Amino acid sequence: MRARLDRNARLGKVVASAAAVAFVVTACGGDDGGDSASSGDGDVTLSVSVWNYDTTPEFQALFEAFEEANPNITIEPVDILADDYDDKLTAMLAGGDETDVLTMKNVIGYSRYANRGQLADISDVVESADTENLAGLESYDIDGSYYAMPYRQDFWLLYYNKGLFDEAGLDYPENVTWDEYADLAEQLTSGDGGEKVYGTYHHTWRSVIQAISAAQTGGDQLGGDYAFFTDQYEMAVGLQDSGFALDYGTASAQQADYRNMFETEATAMMPMGTWYISGILAAKANGDTEVDWGLAPMPQRPDSDEVVTFGSPTAFAVNENAQNADAAKRFVEFASGVEGATAIADVGVVPALQSPEITDAYFALDGMPEDELSRTAFEPDVVELEMPVSETTSDVDTILNEEHELIMVGEKSIADGIATMGDRVNNEVR
Amino acid sequence: MSHVTTQPGTPGTASPPTGPPPTGQSPTGRSSGSRGGRRRLIKRSTLVGWSFILPNFIGFALFTLVPVIAAFVLAFMEWNSYSSPSWVGLDNFERMFSDENFRVAFVNTLFYAGGHIPLTLVAALTLAVVLNRKIRGVQFFRTAAFFPYITSLVAVAVVWNMLFDPTMGPVNQFLETLGISNPPRWTASTDWSMPAVIITSVWRDMGYYMVLYLAGLQTIPEEYYEAARVDGANAWQRFWHVTLPGLRPVTFFVVVMLTIQSFKILDLIVVMTDGGPGRSTLVLAQLIYREGIREGRFGYSSAIALVLFFIVLTITVLQFRLNERRKA
Amino acid sequence: MSALPDVVSPDTPPRQLNASVQARRRKSLLRKALTYLVMTAVALLVLVPFAWMISSSLKRNNEVFTVPIQWIPEEFRWSNFVDIWDRIPMVTYLRNSAFLSVTITFLQVLTGSFAAYGFAKVRFPGRDALFLAYIGTIAVPWQAYMVPQYIMMQEAGLTNTFWSIIFLQAFSAFGVFLMRQYYMSIPDELVEAARIDGLSEYGIYRRIMLPLSKPALASLALLTFVNTWNDYMGPFIYLTSNDLWTVQLGLRSFIGQYSADYAMIMTGAVISVLPIVVIFLLGQRYFIRGIATTGLKG
Repeated sequence: MRARLDRNARLGKVVASAAAVAFVVTACGGDDGGDSASSGDGDVTLSVSVWNYDTTPEFQALFEAFEEANPNITIEPVDILADDYDDKLTAMLAGGDETDVLTMKNVIGYSRYANRGQLADISDVVESADTENLAGLESYDIDGSYYAMPYRQDFWLLYYNKGLFDEAGLDYPENVTWDEYADLAEQLTSGDGGEKVYGTYHHTWRSVIQAISAAQTGGDQLGGDYAFFTDQYEMAVGLQDSGFALDYGTASAQQADYRNMFETEATAMMPMGTWYISGILAAKANGDTEVDWGLAPMPQRPDSDEVVTFGSPTAFAVNENAQNADAAKRFVEFASGVEGATAIADVGVVPALQSPEITDAYFALDGMPEDELSRTAFEPDVVELEMPVSETTSDVDTILNEEHELIMVGEKSIADGIATMGDRVNNEVR
Repeated sequence: MSHVTTQPGTPGTASPPTGPPPTGQSPTGRSSGSRGGRRRLIKRSTLVGWSFILPNFIGFALFTLVPVIAAFVLAFMEWNSYSSPSWVGLDNFERMFSDENFRVAFVNTLFYAGGHIPLTLVAALTLAVVLNRKIRGVQFFRTAAFFPYITSLVAVAVVWNMLFDPTMGPVNQFLETLGISNPPRWTASTDWSMPAVIITSVWRDMGYYMVLYLAGLQTIPEEYYEAARVDGANAWQRFWHVTLPGLRPVTFFVVVMLTIQSFKILDLIVVMTDGGPGRSTLVLAQLIYREGIREGRFGYSSAIALVLFFIVLTITVLQFRLNERRKA
Repeated sequence: MSALPDVVSPDTPPRQLNASVQARRRKSLLRKALTYLVMTAVALLVLVPFAWMISSSLKRNNEVFTVPIQWIPEEFRWSNFVDIWDRIPMVTYLRNSAFLSVTITFLQVLTGSFAAYGFAKVRFPGRDALFLAYIGTIAVPWQAYMVPQYIMMQEAGLTNTFWSIIFLQAFSAFGVFLMRQYYMSIPDELVEAARIDGLSEYGIYRRIMLPLSKPALASLALLTFVNTWNDYMGPFIYLTSNDLWTVQLGLRSFIGQYSADYAMIMTGAVISVLPIVVIFLLGQRYFIRGIATTGLKG
């Protein structure tokens, strides 16, 4: 017994002294000057954090355009994998990283970095720029200040397979309501087993149901009362139960890929974001698919007289520890402006800055559908934010996701699931 | 064979299966009568011991031990990875006890460990014993058994999920032919998703631990088997009385590692169910990741890690003692 | 000191000479056939996911995740195995992975087995507490101390260098624990005898322990190599420059913001498994009875 006590005391001493060391080390973290990457007068090397630099053409297009407009600035991409981008950025910033410009992959990440004080206030840039037509900017407003500026804005619309519509003798889905959409899905379903063609495909993300119903009913996803989801869930669960849409359990277990569903013509319709346009263009150009596709506006609620959908912007922010803050701000402004927008529209990415010229440039891309409906689909009346930004966003998101799964796999009834969402958000999120 | 509880410096910890306890008092074997001599010897053996441990210890202490201790200190603080940490005492722990997510993750982790540890142990030992013979093609079978561990996790998740598919999956089709009319919905149900994950993880890890057992089997002297045969022991008796006791050090290692690995399981769950459906496969390591790196509540996340650490440490110490008693 | 005669498996029937030898032989033949049958069936079952991996590596990307699963690609795209070398700098990635895996395995085996001797065969005060600290740290998920560790590495200027990964993995407690357990099973008399013969502790380690623990060293080397080769999060967090990336990072670079090229990922995964298979076949030669015990009879 005594021996054990002795040993414990000794262990305690070891731990205490090690903790002291650890403490000193971590306490010094993040505040050292480090050596500057910038060189003297004029010539500047601007570092920008990006993901998958080689395979994401928008970054290259932007950087080239910016370097051309600013010959004294060279851009050095800090290449991070898209998959766990925010994990690495979190670690880097904790370590006092000095990368000048940080790409904000989504607004949830943005609110986190901004609230921790890791991003520089760039309200002056936002105010001086012409932001009237800059979609998605309001998402970055935190108590009247801006810490990032969007350059890209993806929003949701309905992809459909013209061939399958023609075969079934149906009109293309112009201005349909959700009920009409469900009917179309029924009529477009055909075949069996491996040959089965589904009327529509709802990807496993919760936004497919929750964000669209929030946008179209004006419901608040952070509010704690989720009755406004009901109609959308009834439609979606009804479709999968009658076999007109791929079952959620199967889709999530098999990691069903929406590209696969649409490009192999296993589904006739698919609500999805505009980012997929460049993907499908590339697939067609490579001969990977022969689908004859078109775009339509998202289906609406029966009482709606305008086209409402939701979208998610992508933005650039300036690091609080940036070595070249001025050049960084210039880059952020450039990317959100006309020149930046034109550069990324040329590679098939939807810019945040909207103007008829840019839309024209976009539809001039090789392989874009040329019909009027697709063009209309590209100009919705209202684009709501996918998820409101606040301190609780991320926690609420987790809860909504978990309960969404339970409803979709049939573990909970729609009413129960929606009730639990409310209870959990009200009880667990402080 | 081990000695968490023995007084440091006492002899006779690692005795062979049959032989008498070693007689030497000191590592040099030349025991000395005088007190001063004894102390000198202890000092010397301390030096010698540390000289062996030091090359590894420096690397280990600097970049693993120190950050771990720093994380433990953070458990009593609030820190978002950027601003300076502030002391909050036991707040994080109080919060944990009222946190439903923690309770769910804790129960799920116990469930996972309770299934994964014994099943993997038996599977790995069986594989090792079966594949520890000189038969043609044994290399192929050993490699095959190790393959699950090196197969891409995405492939593992997709294929197992397909096998477990409630309607079209082969597992349920097989169960239906056995006459089970209402087979489990596996990963699409909250009750059966964890068993599905456990089965997949046993399949994945058994080859890994088989490698350890294969190495362990080589240390059992052939003479023991000869002697047992002479005594008329059959194959099962030889396994029970020669193989198993001979494997005890390895088994101890395997059990401790299995315990540790099960309590911090993360990667397989992330790709297979991502904690779902609902929270039915949410585990502690996932909660630690989510609260810390994703939500920026590093204090709370470290507090959960500290609790996890103490659970595993307690189990490990118990295993040490149990192991020692069985040996005595 | 000679190798043992081949009386291998524990269930070889005892050598008895009587009339039923014939029947027994027939029975054992039948049993052998049955064993093979069962083992082959199990092996095939075990390899199913790997088969899916190979099949996917020969598909077009949008054919990978079909419902239901398509086992045989409509058209075999062998070109995937050519294209991947152009799509990403695979040669650089393979070289980096190989460098890291070999270096880390070497250091882990060397320092791990060295330290294990200290823990297993040298007695000194504080040894067991220290050992528990070693094991205890394995129980802490990396995610819990990743950020403090990153900050330290950054302070030391080691981020974005191979050193960070080497420090992270080469001195892990796993190897120390594993080797200690094997050394514990080597009788103390052997060590005592060597001490009486005048061998120093270092001599005992080098002349007796190392040769005796070949199977354990092989399994430690094998498992360390595989874990380093397949590690993703460590290199992802610490290595930023593209020319330092490893194969696993290269494969993940096929996952984009909204979609992924799974055919290429599987192609790369098949390529990255090959070196492991070679290492496994080399390593498992040491899992043969006799190697570990020959020395004991001296």
